[in-house]
Amino acid sequence: MTPDKSDVLYGTLGLLVIKTLEALGPLHGYLIARRIEQISGDQLALNQGTLYPALLKLEQMGWISSKWGTSESGRRVRIYTLTRAGRKQLEKEEAQWQRAASIVERFLKIAENPS
Amino acid sequence: MTRLRAVLFRLRALVRSRQMDREIDEEIASHLAEATEEYVQQGLSPEEARWAAQRSFGGVTQSKEVYRQVWSFGWLEDFSRDVRHAARTLRRGSAFATASAATLALAIGSSTAMFSVLNAVVLRPLPYQSPEQLAMLWTEDPTQNVREGRSARRDVEQWRTGSRSFAGIATFDGMSVTLSGAEGAEQIGVGSISPNLLPLLGVLPAQGRGFSTEVAEQQQRPVLISHQFWQARFGGSSDAIGSTLVLDGRPSQVIGILPAGFQVARLDAALWTPHAMSDGPRTGQNAADTQTWFVVGRLRPTVTFEQAQAEMSAIASRLNDRLPAAERNRGISVLPLSLQMVGTQSRLALWMLGGAVFFLFLIAAANVTSLSLARSVTRAREMAVRAALGAGVGRIVRQLLTESVMLAVVSGVIGTLLALVCIRLVRAFGPGTLPRLNEIALDVRVLGWALAISLLGGILVGLAPAIATLRRDLRSSGELSGRSASGGATTRGIRRALVVAEFALAIVLLVGAGLLVRSWWHVTRIDPGFRPEQVLVMELSTPTTFNAPTQRTDLYARVLDEIQAAPGVENAGIIGDLFIDNTRDQVVTVERDEGTVSEGLRLRRDEVSTDFFNAIGTPLLRGRSFSAGDSPNAPLVAIVNEAMARRSWPGRDSVGRRFKLGPRNSNRPWFTVVGVVADMRRQGLEREAVPQMFVPLAQDPPRAVDILIRTSSDDPLAMAGALRTAVRRVEKDAPIYGVAPLEQQFGVYLTQRRFQTFLLTGFSVVALLLAAVGIYGLVQYSVATRTREIGLRQSIGAQAGDIFRMIVGEGLMLSLTGLALGLMGAWWLGRAVSGLLFGVTPGDPLTFVTVSLLLTAVAIVASYVPARRAMAVDPIVALRVT
Repeated sequence: MTPDKSDVLYGTLGLLVIKTLEALGPLHGYLIARRIEQISGDQLALNQGTLYPALLKLEQMGWISSKWGTSESGRRVRIYTLTRAGRKQLEKEEAQWQRAASIVERFLKIAENPS
Repeated sequence: MTRLRAVLFRLRALVRSRQMDREIDEEIASHLAEATEEYVQQGLSPEEARWAAQRSFGGVTQSKEVYRQVWSFGWLEDFSRDVRHAARTLRRGSAFATASAATLALAIGSSTAMFSVLNAVVLRPLPYQSPEQLAMLWTEDPTQNVREGRSARRDVEQWRTGSRSFAGIATFDGMSVTLSGAEGAEQIGVGSISPNLLPLLGVLPAQGRGFSTEVAEQQQRPVLISHQFWQARFGGSSDAIGSTLVLDGRPSQVIGILPAGFQVARLDAALWTPHAMSDGPRTGQNAADTQTWFVVGRLRPTVTFEQAQAEMSAIASRLNDRLPAAERNRGISVLPLSLQMVGTQSRLALWMLGGAVFFLFLIAAANVTSLSLARSVTRAREMAVRAALGAGVGRIVRQLLTESVMLAVVSGVIGTLLALVCIRLVRAFGPGTLPRLNEIALDVRVLGWALAISLLGGILVGLAPAIATLRRDLRSSGELSGRSASGGATTRGIRRALVVAEFALAIVLLVGAGLLVRSWWHVTRIDPGFRPEQVLVMELSTPTTFNAPTQRTDLYARVLDEIQAAPGVENAGIIGDLFIDNTRDQVVTVERDEGTVSEGLRLRRDEVSTDFFNAIGTPLLRGRSFSAGDSPNAPLVAIVNEAMARRSWPGRDSVGRRFKLGPRNSNRPWFTVVGVVADMRRQGLEREAVPQMFVPLAQDPPRAVDILIRTSSDDPLAMAGALRTAVRRVEKDAPIYGVAPLEQQFGVYLTQRRFQTFLLTGFSVVALLLAAVGIYGLVQYSVATRTREIGLRQSIGAQAGDIFRMIVGEGLMLSLTGLALGLMGAWWLGRAVSGLLFGVTPGDPLTFVTVSLLLTAVAIVASYVPARRAMAVDPIVALRVT
């Protein structure tokens, strides 16, 4: 593992997956992994194997659904689609993240210039 | 909502776990293939591309493991793995598993069977509406030793009008009538009940209707038939209702069919007829006044038995004031109907047997525990490996418990099947005197018991090894290297305690059995006052047209002549009714030296033929027997038994004295005592003979009699056919029934005791064997694990005898400890069941000493065999082996 890449923040993989699916539409597992890596500018050290338990958990929660289909190269793959519940969940989590991020940001600013 | 969905998802996944596995495999394979392809396109060689794909994917196995955890319930997975593992382990150690499962299955089976009997006979509520409110009302008279006596109609009438505790009071009695039809006449059991009895019990006829209280109906002679009679006589056809039965020569109309298995208290009859309760036309010559009844009442919902008893006692004392002085001792007792169904003695016996089987179960469980403990020591290494690989203590304990519970469940299933067989056997061969036996079945409660006791067994068996495991440092290097000197102090401690407990329990059972066997011995050595061997009894009813006494006398005389002429017959006699089930108390007026006295007496009166005492083998002690001269016109004479002679003329010769039934001023005839015979225990060996008087058959011939035929054959029943023909030759319309050897009929009184004694003895022998196996196993195992120590001792000079004493001493010490504890328990429990004993005290020294000696002997023998092996240990080998 290359030292300059950062680990996926705990608990965020699900968010990354549904955001990817929202942005790019239905995808199979490998493509989801690749897109996450690409969007992060190859800065994320994604252990691709961890993706599948995450996908299963999301499916259990009802946020994504899956069915078997064919990849561009003609392999049988499972294709994941964002559900309506997933879309709602995404909005909620996005808002939460932004709020959390802005709070953290504000704290960091305080730390930088104590006034 | 989301959580529910997740659970559903997991449940689905659980069902399709194989498919889930396959799919994730395929998905990961596709993933790797796609990745490899991309790397190849980037210019890597296929080999390098595959490696790169693997690298960026991470561990495939870990990934799948996490994946599986997401879709499964973790504990359930563990559980199913434990079960599979347990099955494998048990299969591998099949000798252990077979021995344990067989032992447990036997224990579970027998205790379940016993529980089913207890359940049906004692625990299950009576098949009536709100049975807890039902009470039997008895007339009691302490001076007569009458505790549960029937009650006269006019008394019941007083109770009904005077009491407020009862919502209703009904009466019933069993009688016998002649049912005549196309196939001939037969004697049949009839329950005579007051019309309000069925509504009071809350029982409705299955078909048709019950009795109404209207007087008009009494003349129509309605009859209800039992379910069994309906099936047998009418083949279950609905034509039965409205059909006519001829009872005692008079037509009666069937108006309803009772539910299957219906009985009142212990009265079970084929037909049920109503008797007028009050204000009805008096039938016969004031028969209604002298007849006595069983009385059942329903308490009002808020009234307790104590309150009802208090009220009835007050009523009894009020009624006493109106009676002649001699009779003013009457009381009324109010007892739950359930007690009447199953007498206190049967109840006690059942609880005792139930407890005995439970003890047996505990002994068996202790044995299996001991086995599995021994095994856990040899498995210490396996456990240590598991612990080293990261299994927590809790996990290992859970696995051990799973193993034993699984063992118990398998045993439970086999045991339940065994119980089914036992239930069939009990239903077929159980003592007929035990009521409600036909209700024994494998119902939910019994199955629940089987399940509970199986799980209890499993936990008991698994707990000890689990505790021993907890106490042991799992990762100790000694265990890992497979060297365990003598198998852990905890394990040994528990096993020794188990052996002590087994012996203690076995002793309790053995003492109980010993006491019952001694009681049996006492009972069978009682002289019944007659000789039942080789005697055949048959009951004979006169045709309904034989209304004149002389007709019946003549018939009986001719029947006796014909029978006595038959080959193989030594003697024959007639008695009105040989078997006494309920004696009634009456006032008797007796002439004594000091004057004429009236007193209440519980007296039994029977009509006998001249040769009766000869035929049954009862010695005449004083005076003379009846003769042909005691004809209807001759003076009334009587023979009394010793009990009556002792009571009425204490210390004097009773021959020649006079007495009469009824009070002094009554105009009933005087009887002159002409002879005294020995007491006959006609109510069973265990009950003292009541005062009895006998009158000549010719002076008062009853409508139905018992004929006793003393034969020269040991199998008197073989002559039944010939004798029946002989009677038919005299009168073909006289029904004959109930033909049986007297020994067998009389033996019925003993069946219940025999049953108890037999069962408890059987249980205790099994318990003894199990305890012996337990001590043998322990000593054997101790020898096996102490081979090295024994070798060492021998090499520093111990003689074979020393080793022998050491090993046997160990076994003996344990069994003596158990003996001491068991004897205390037996003494204590013996008093609880003293009601079942006869002629012995609960602390009978002979029983206690015999049992102690027996157990010590068994313990010595069980330790002897392993001790022999210990003596044969070769010190060199023993020291080298380790």
